[in-house]
Amino acid sequence: MKNSKAISVKINGKQVEKTIPTHLRLLDFIRNHLKLTGTKEVCGEGECGACSVILAGKIVNSCLIFAVETNGSEISTIEGIAKVDELSEIQQNFIEHHSVQCGFCIPGMVLAGEEIRKENPHSTRDEIKEKLAGNICRCTGYKKIVDAIENN
Amino acid sequence: MNYFSPNSISELFNLFESIKNYTILVGGTDLMPGFENGTPLPENLIDLKNISDLSEIRETTEEIEIGALTTVTELQKNLVIHKYFNALWQATKEFAGVQIRNRATIGGNICNASPSGDLLTPLYSFGAKLKLIRSKSERIVPIENIITNPGEIALNNGEILQSVILPKTDFQSLFIKLGLRESMAISVVNFAIVYKKNCDNFEHLSIFAGAVAPTIIRLKTLENVLLDNPKTDITANLIVPDISPISDIRASANYREQVLVNLLNNEVRRMNDEQ
Repeated sequence: MKNSKAISVKINGKQVEKTIPTHLRLLDFIRNHLKLTGTKEVCGEGECGACSVILAGKIVNSCLIFAVETNGSEISTIEGIAKVDELSEIQQNFIEHHSVQCGFCIPGMVLAGEEIRKENPHSTRDEIKEKLAGNICRCTGYKKIVDAIENN
Repeated sequence: MNYFSPNSISELFNLFESIKNYTILVGGTDLMPGFENGTPLPENLIDLKNISDLSEIRETTEEIEIGALTTVTELQKNLVIHKYFNALWQATKEFAGVQIRNRATIGGNICNASPSGDLLTPLYSFGAKLKLIRSKSERIVPIENIITNPGEIALNNGEILQSVILPKTDFQSLFIKLGLRESMAISVVNFAIVYKKNCDNFEHLSIFAGAVAPTIIRLKTLENVLLDNPKTDITANLIVPDISPISDIRASANYREQVLVNLLNNEVRRMNDEQ
């Protein structure tokens, strides 16, 4: 049995090479091995979107992916969204619209917002809501989250 | 767990020569929650995602052939599917959320063989055929011959699903899903209708329902009655001969039956009103 494998991935622009257990989830690789703890775990089964990351240009749930599957890919986490000293437009909007309550869903919400705006900067509220279906907020703060993604 | 990610079909078949016990991984959106909930990890996991031959969509004048690795997002963005297979396109819109659609594949949805698999009901109603390949042979089989029971498929060892073939027609179609909430919910019932009207009658009609039997089933009794008289008021006795719903965490068998009757009535009335 070969229970570990060497992988090479680019995370937030930085090339990383590690040998990891084959059963390690991408989520645990990011949080425990790379110490990027902005990515959160809530449901662990792809329902809530708190563990969202951008893999090869697409938003995905990192709890549903083995880290070995991402060998050779580019990944962005919430830590890669802001420039050195400057928040992204969406992050700034989340502050201005008071969109954050407990904050646990917010890394996933911001990434989903970035993806929505990248695909169509003029998305309507209904489109934004449909595309946020995979991100759950249990503080019921959806209105202000949609406001932040819409209002630019 | 050994992890393999062959880069081509021939590499995959070579792997099958040496490995007999394996689990196939594609999008992982059904497999991973299973592991999370206690399914033991397999000894050998074979990831097909690097085999580009399995993710092509090919169109001819008569049909469309969809590679098994095509994601739900890719299906949704495909103009041929939007044009000819509205019920399937509609199902992609109702399918989980963006994160799952970016990973989940048509082949995975078929091979997972869930009675409530959202893509399955439209595929049955369009008469989908599956192309299955082994190292030295291939076969093309109707989807209903492959999905045998919940979670069970009639694939041989060393055989994989290469693609799904749908015949192009001028039929109209629709897909209706009822879940416990609007998004991210598994179907309580779903159905697809593929039809062609000629004046007030149906020249073609096929109705399949999901989550009301161990596999997707055809509502043959209802089809025959509606082909005879499209204005027939749909009652439970017209679907009961074909369905065998169960009560589970999402809904009771009675509820599934009644809500299916109501939703079918809504759609068939609307179809009758179309000019």
